[in-house]
Amino acid sequence: MENYIEDIKLRFDVKDIVSRRDNLSFITCEKEKTIALITHMKNNLGFTHFVLLTAVDWIEDGLFQLTYILNNPNAKIDIAVRTMISRENSEMESAHKLWQQVATYQRELREMFGINFPDSPGVTDNFILEGWDDIPPYRRDFDTKKYAEETYFPRPGRETNDPAEYMKKKLS
Amino acid sequence: MKEQKNIFNWQPDRSKYPKVKENGELDIDLTSEKFIKLWQGPNHPGVTGNMAIELTVSGDEVVHAKTHVGYLHRGFEKLMERRLWIQCFPTCIRMCVAEPDYNEYLLAKSAEELSGIEVPEMAEWLRTLVLEMARLQSLLRTVPGQAGTLSLGVGVQWGVYLRDLVLDLFEELTGGRVYHMYILPGGVRGLLPDGFKKRMEDVLKKIEEFIVNIENLMFKNIVFKKRTIGVGYIDPAWVDQFGIVGPNARAAGFKRDVRKDYPYLKYNELDFDVTYETDSDIFARSVVRKKELILTLDLIRQIMAKMPEKGDFKAQTPNVLHWKIPAGETYVRSESSRGEYGFYTVSDGSTMPRRINLRGPSYTHAVSLLEKMLINANLADVHSIMVSLQTCPPEIER
Amino acid sequence: MAIRDILTPFTAWKKVFREPVTVKDPLNDRPGAERYRGFHKNDLTACIGCGSCEAICENEAIDLVPVEGIETKSGDSGLRPLVDYGRCCWCALCVDVCTTGSLNLTNEYTWVTEDPEDFRFIPGAENKPWDKLEAGWKKPEPNYEFYSLKREAMEELHPGDRDKSFIEIVKGYSKEQAEAEADRCVECGICIATCPANMGIPEYIKAVRNDDIEEGFKILYETNPLPEICGRICTHKCETVCSVGHRGEPLSIRWLKRYIADQVESSEYKRILGTDGIENNGKKVAVIGSGPAGLSAAHYLSLMGYKITIYEQYAHAGGMMRYGIPEYRLPYDQIDKDVNYILSLGVDIHYNTQIGKDISLADLKEKYDAVFAGTGLHLGRSTRIPGTEHENVYQAIDLLNKITDGKEIHVAEKIVVIGGGNVAMDITRSLTRLQNQKYGKVQMIATALESEKSLPADVEEVVEAREEMAIVNPGWGPKSIEIKDGKITGLHVVKCLSIFDEEGRFNPQFDENNTNFFEADMIVESIGQGMDISYISGDIKDSLKFDPRGRVTVNEYFQSDAPWLFIGGDIIQGPDVIHGIANGHKAAYGIDNFLNQNK
Repeated sequence: MENYIEDIKLRFDVKDIVSRRDNLSFITCEKEKTIALITHMKNNLGFTHFVLLTAVDWIEDGLFQLTYILNNPNAKIDIAVRTMISRENSEMESAHKLWQQVATYQRELREMFGINFPDSPGVTDNFILEGWDDIPPYRRDFDTKKYAEETYFPRPGRETNDPAEYMKKKLS
Repeated sequence: MKEQKNIFNWQPDRSKYPKVKENGELDIDLTSEKFIKLWQGPNHPGVTGNMAIELTVSGDEVVHAKTHVGYLHRGFEKLMERRLWIQCFPTCIRMCVAEPDYNEYLLAKSAEELSGIEVPEMAEWLRTLVLEMARLQSLLRTVPGQAGTLSLGVGVQWGVYLRDLVLDLFEELTGGRVYHMYILPGGVRGLLPDGFKKRMEDVLKKIEEFIVNIENLMFKNIVFKKRTIGVGYIDPAWVDQFGIVGPNARAAGFKRDVRKDYPYLKYNELDFDVTYETDSDIFARSVVRKKELILTLDLIRQIMAKMPEKGDFKAQTPNVLHWKIPAGETYVRSESSRGEYGFYTVSDGSTMPRRINLRGPSYTHAVSLLEKMLINANLADVHSIMVSLQTCPPEIER
Repeated sequence: MAIRDILTPFTAWKKVFREPVTVKDPLNDRPGAERYRGFHKNDLTACIGCGSCEAICENEAIDLVPVEGIETKSGDSGLRPLVDYGRCCWCALCVDVCTTGSLNLTNEYTWVTEDPEDFRFIPGAENKPWDKLEAGWKKPEPNYEFYSLKREAMEELHPGDRDKSFIEIVKGYSKEQAEAEADRCVECGICIATCPANMGIPEYIKAVRNDDIEEGFKILYETNPLPEICGRICTHKCETVCSVGHRGEPLSIRWLKRYIADQVESSEYKRILGTDGIENNGKKVAVIGSGPAGLSAAHYLSLMGYKITIYEQYAHAGGMMRYGIPEYRLPYDQIDKDVNYILSLGVDIHYNTQIGKDISLADLKEKYDAVFAGTGLHLGRSTRIPGTEHENVYQAIDLLNKITDGKEIHVAEKIVVIGGGNVAMDITRSLTRLQNQKYGKVQMIATALESEKSLPADVEEVVEAREEMAIVNPGWGPKSIEIKDGKITGLHVVKCLSIFDEEGRFNPQFDENNTNFFEADMIVESIGQGMDISYISGDIKDSLKFDPRGRVTVNEYFQSDAPWLFIGGDIIQGPDVIHGIANGHKAAYGIDNFLNQNK
């Protein structure tokens, strides 16, 4: 593990290196260098198995975190590459040329988080949602509960009591 | 087997068809009356869940395929962001109906790893047992299910019966048949009931008998062989290219198994070899799954023999009603019957997860891989190919 | 590919003659497994309506609703869970979290009805056919808990280290201990109604958990201006109803309160509570007595802008908290910490000033817009058995008073204390310390009418007294004090069978044949205290009403029939500190209302 991290540190400006387990580390790389980094990892360091790509919405910082988890099947280790991109007009370079299935991940991220990946094949096609006109639903500011209450039909006349409040009312 | 592949390849090389236009698009003119659009799904065909494939067909040859999902989307990943960690435990299981236990295990494991909780030995054994039982009941549907796609329904009925016997055991151990809700952060929810080992052994014996029968019915069946050997071929070069895992990768000669490569729970105390095949067609994948089934029987017997009788089965966790998990992120994986099944979990230090992302094998198998595999396939083989990848739409849409 | 590949599959045909494997009558032949998670059942008498099931339900399938025939009372909200089976996912987390263990699932899963509304019901209240079923999901055992049932142990001085001195015994929680203890709370809020001051207990415990001491401190002062004191010696009624206590040890609510108060420096009080520069509204209120009731009233009235003057008969503030409770339980500097903050709000205090002697109540009426009297119970009651007139028979309250003042008191070699309350334990334990200091050994017997099980004193007081080598021998009625040659030799007692009659009146029954003799050369009586309200006299007295026990009748705001006179604390309710605080707080609102009406 150390060798790989050392190699990456030599070539790329990575920070926040967190070793979660012996076989799993997280590193953070700047947006512009991320695709170059994972290309290097795939082609030269043996990280040939692409595990996943997903986003985390840090709405309070105005950032999306993209996490690419790569696996080296021979060394049996994983390195997760994180990169922070702005929530405003969020856009990221596509990685579909490295692994074909990444296009699917990027299609979903565009739909669910509103992150665009120009040049990714079929990225604007609907993936799961059809005719969605709200904000991308996996963003933190999309309130699932509110949406459900407005869209569906809650049972009328439901009521519950907070024990403390109820006792206060009853006993005082 | 190699020469058979040539015999059964119904069209030697169709890779230049349909033609590609100069701008890179396929030369498919729907108005030319040479092509028709055909939808397979999204009704629930039995073992695969609601998923649709939009096919463009010329004659009986598929020239273009596109997977459509979204019929099962309930946004579980998002729902979990608004739930306490303990409340995620009954939610996460629904991301895969076929083997919900892997979700329970991965959620529990993520929470434990992030908060540094040690799980008692007894719980580790019980978790291993439950995960293997989950694989067992899943394979009991999938192995004969492959024959079912070729209208050989008898095996499916046998399998469903035996699966129900396994579910009976689940019911005894966990109180539930399909959604077991047994592995929770900190441990599990109970020890084996009295007499469980004997009843387990009875069921395992019946399954052994079933394997002999299914061998005769499927694997020594000329129809099954003719329809599967050489069909649905996965080029080993695609394995990394498409993120292929589990039996689909193992049937292509890759000895990759999370249980062996990244041993979790008690797997490094169990004696087993990774099953594999090299032909990489539907038949090979079925054989791998049959071997998995036999392996699972063996593993369950090993677990039953090695497991202690009694012991603590749950660690004391902080009060679950306001359990804050330290900020951090992790990725944990396990080997489901479909392959690498993993949770990427992010905690921001609050009582609810910041993000949980499921990496399900079908996410790549059923979309980008299937779309590629179906091109130039015979229309009649489409669902066989799909089932041979063991697609599971709930884990695609989550 | 061979001919056998054509023939082998036909072996499946032999299955045609096999017995079918299906269950013929699944509704009857196939009950759910022992652990099956089917419909709920709830033991309504064991359930306390704490709502933990509702809190943990991830589907919001559970509502808490009132149920006919179940009363809301201390320790029981009177609410019971109603389950909506259209939402329930049968995960049984509600069972595993249940604080009382009343809620379980059964193995019934086949029940159906035509009306979908029938699938919403209150388990246990509607006589469902499965209410009697034994099989079904129960909380797994053993060592399977969603919150710790064990208290964080409190560090205390060992008996050998404490029985000669008056150093505080209880050390208080560290941050880790306090947070671990606070973590056990299920936030049901059942305790709030039982606390006489209705303190926001779950909220301040939450603040401890979140390490937000300032927030917790603010919550304390919303209802209780004496947190250092209450955090040490409150009778903690709240802990007796704590829902976690049903299956385990209740939360250490009192120690958590103390933890918060201990973390805050005196100099920080005003900043945190935002009490700098309160505007004076020009009205004046006199408070008689600086016990908990008086201080509480003074505090809340000051916050409303009233100018407060306290009249205190002794040289220091605190009343019974200082003069009744020994220093090893409640150090004087902690009393000062609470009192000084209240005085810093602009409250004047006149020490050594007794109403009725140094200044009359009528004078106060003239000088102030309203008066609050919380004069407490300072007169010791006597058993009046033969021999009590001897000079070496003392009243506990007088001795405690002198110990506080640092005055020399008579300490004999052999002492008997009569009484089983907290004051009796206080004097017992104070005197054992003094005996230890003077003679190097303890010869102390505390006896009481009540039996061991019904002793009014807190259990830990009795346990600790015994650790300090005092003999606590309850269940005896004092008969007479034997005096030989002018010296006490001991106390004759007779076995007490019962204390109250069937109607609940005080009417002790004795077994005259079962007697005992406790050797002693000094006897201390501690069977309760009386009030001295002789300062209420003349016209004022005539305008008031009294109840049969001699207490002034007051309304819910502790206002007497003389509208300017408010009375609270031990002379009305209690006796304990927390009632006093609650009375003072309520009276402050009453006084505020009264004075604003007059505008």
